[in-house]
Amino acid sequence: MTAPALALRELTKSYGRADGDRPALSPMNLEVPAGQLVALVGHNGSGKTTMMRMVAGLLDPTDGEVDVHGHARSSLEARAELSYLADSPTFYDDLSLREHLEFVARMHGVTEWAADADRLVGRLGLADRFDQLPTTFSRGLRQKAAIAIAFVRPFSLLLVDEPFVGLDQAGKDALLVLFDEAHAGGATLVVATHELSFVHRADRLLALADGEVRYDGAPGDTDVHALVFHT
Amino acid sequence: MTDIDALTAADPAPVTTSTGVDALHEMRTTRKRHRLGDLEWFDAAYKVYVVALFGGIVLLWLSDLVGDAELSAAQALDVAANGPAVVGMAAVIAFVAGLRSGAQGGPLALEAADVAHVMLAPIPRRTALLRPTVQRLRSAGFAGAAVTASLAQLAGRRLPGTPVAWFFAGGLFGLNLALLWVGAALVAHAIRLPLVVSTVVGLVGVGWQAAAITWGVPGPGNLDGSLGLWGWRQHGIDSLALVFTAAIVVIGVLLVARTSLEALARRASLVAQLRFAVTMQDLRTVILLRRQLSSEHTRRQPWVQLSARGTGPAVWRRGWHSLLRLPAGRVLRMLALTVGAAACQVAVIHGTSPAIFGTLVCTFVLGLEVMEPLSQEVDQPDRTDSFPLERGDLMFRHLAAPAVALVPFTLLGAATAVGIDAAVTDGSRVAGAIPVALLLAVAATFAGASGAAISIVRDAPDPMSGTTQDVYLPPEMAGFTTVLRTVIPLVVSAAGAAMALGTRGVIERGDASPVATAARGALAIVLLTAGVAAWVRSRDRLRRKIRAFMSEGREHTRQQQQQRSNR
Repeated sequence: MTAPALALRELTKSYGRADGDRPALSPMNLEVPAGQLVALVGHNGSGKTTMMRMVAGLLDPTDGEVDVHGHARSSLEARAELSYLADSPTFYDDLSLREHLEFVARMHGVTEWAADADRLVGRLGLADRFDQLPTTFSRGLRQKAAIAIAFVRPFSLLLVDEPFVGLDQAGKDALLVLFDEAHAGGATLVVATHELSFVHRADRLLALADGEVRYDGAPGDTDVHALVFHT
Repeated sequence: MTDIDALTAADPAPVTTSTGVDALHEMRTTRKRHRLGDLEWFDAAYKVYVVALFGGIVLLWLSDLVGDAELSAAQALDVAANGPAVVGMAAVIAFVAGLRSGAQGGPLALEAADVAHVMLAPIPRRTALLRPTVQRLRSAGFAGAAVTASLAQLAGRRLPGTPVAWFFAGGLFGLNLALLWVGAALVAHAIRLPLVVSTVVGLVGVGWQAAAITWGVPGPGNLDGSLGLWGWRQHGIDSLALVFTAAIVVIGVLLVARTSLEALARRASLVAQLRFAVTMQDLRTVILLRRQLSSEHTRRQPWVQLSARGTGPAVWRRGWHSLLRLPAGRVLRMLALTVGAAACQVAVIHGTSPAIFGTLVCTFVLGLEVMEPLSQEVDQPDRTDSFPLERGDLMFRHLAAPAVALVPFTLLGAATAVGIDAAVTDGSRVAGAIPVALLLAVAATFAGASGAAISIVRDAPDPMSGTTQDVYLPPEMAGFTTVLRTVIPLVVSAAGAAMALGTRGVIERGDASPVATAARGALAIVLLTAGVAAWVRSRDRLRRKIRAFMSEGREHTRQQQQQRSNR
């Protein structure tokens, strides 16, 4: 039997210091089969980013386990499978975009990276900024650079947190095409977003509220706006 | 098939780490080349040589200025008997500080981009973290060795042994302390030691070592302390302390792969700010960020709830709302600073002049801690400027609650000093020591708080800032004024600590009353404190006047030049 692309078992996160504090993420159980495109929605503070950062290994769970294609989170195998596009991208302040792409690609074992990197930056409209420092970019350009970095390496599971923030329409269109291509290529995508129009492109809708799953099903079966803003 | 297809599930990443490790090494080499690209090695080496040479000369010159007398044979015997336990307390504190640091996130800090790109890549964590770990050990070891070597050569002027021997022995001791601290932090973090356990271990360790000092029982830090006296005599068994430290460091390095990414991510952004604050000599921000690095939060419930219907002045009540929410750890730290300052004052009275720097540091940091309400106000400039009150008046009023809050610490400091002095002098002069200790405690704590207040207020955003800021000073003066801005708070704080020197002189000469001398010193510091408070209140007005005066002068000069050119 094939392991799911993503499996959460009793995954919990609590930042609180007092017993009465509500956990940022209540015990969550979830399985995402390989190849699925999941839209993750929820109001601010609902636990989307907390969940993603725990899956990526950037946050320590208070309890519970995460498997990526059957491998424990943060293991070498899981890191090879998972690409995480964070909501606030970070860059080295002394590497150009080209050097970032080379570095990240090679860190993931890709030796022939140059052609893919060229095509990626071209599609994202960054070709003329290839040799500039991303730390000097505007918010939108930084987001595009982060997208290029997330896609220049191989992955089978892509976690994306608020990818459309700061992007112009051309950037949004390019990103949607990249999502579609990755999805068509068999990758699993989990996209946290407030862009409710994106939800209808997904195979599955997951709505969080106050650290709990409030809806898990097909996006067409529910009023997404009501789900997100009135739970 | 598109290029993206090629990179996704159809071609999952193989877990072969060699390419990634090679890429990591190459990236680090490239970045190093970027950083050092324009560096002239000969020029850099010459600068290091000049700094080391002049640093050494200045250190020796300042050390000669101290001029403390050599200890008598009886006193030296006393140091030989009790020194290892007393000095060993530093090792215990370093170990405990390491445990707490590890429990609160560990000693390592990476760049945020390293956390995102290197730590999430499929290469072994130990490989990625080995270099930052070695760098941490190296920098801590160097800093520890340099500081203690400088202090130890001072001891060599009062104790048997040459200053050179003390210098190198002190360096070894400092290296040991620093590595003990980093190693303990690495291990504590790797095994996820709970903070409460580290606190309990710390209390037991410090209590045990205190018992070793008081009653002469073997303490956990005695071997390390004895190592600190190698400038005088060397005991082979003391090497076990080095073996223990080496073992802790090796275990810490072996377990470094267990470092939490959550802790690394949190520390990454804070450490970048901390480095910037250090660069700007912004001591208050450094302390603020240190608190954030330690995950120190204010209490949700205050120690004592003020009545919601209280009618006291708003700023006074706001100050107490803040102070009554100080967390237990911070209160404990303030108590420890008070005890440390008192111990240093007693050391000064007993002939160790450089201990005034210990008093200075302890009282200055204590002042920064107690001035929390003022700090919060300075950090909220928009709100401050929205109040229908002159900013100077508001800041002046913020001094009241901290000043009252300092009183119990002052009393504790005095009581501690009397206790330590009684222990050293076998209780022969307790009655006479009480008023002197009280007056010196007033001087030291209030001068420390005054220096802290200057440090906080001078960092407040300048309402007159902008393109005209400081234009009345030539650019050549910028470096000097920056140094001055950093030094003045410390000088004000040092004034209180230095009062112990005058009192010691009177005690040694016996030509005047120590109480009267201490009283005059305390009175001078009270006047200094009042002067600082007045400066806080009128700083903006003074600056406005100075700027107006300078603008007037410039306008006058411009008119004269115009008249001359018209002629």
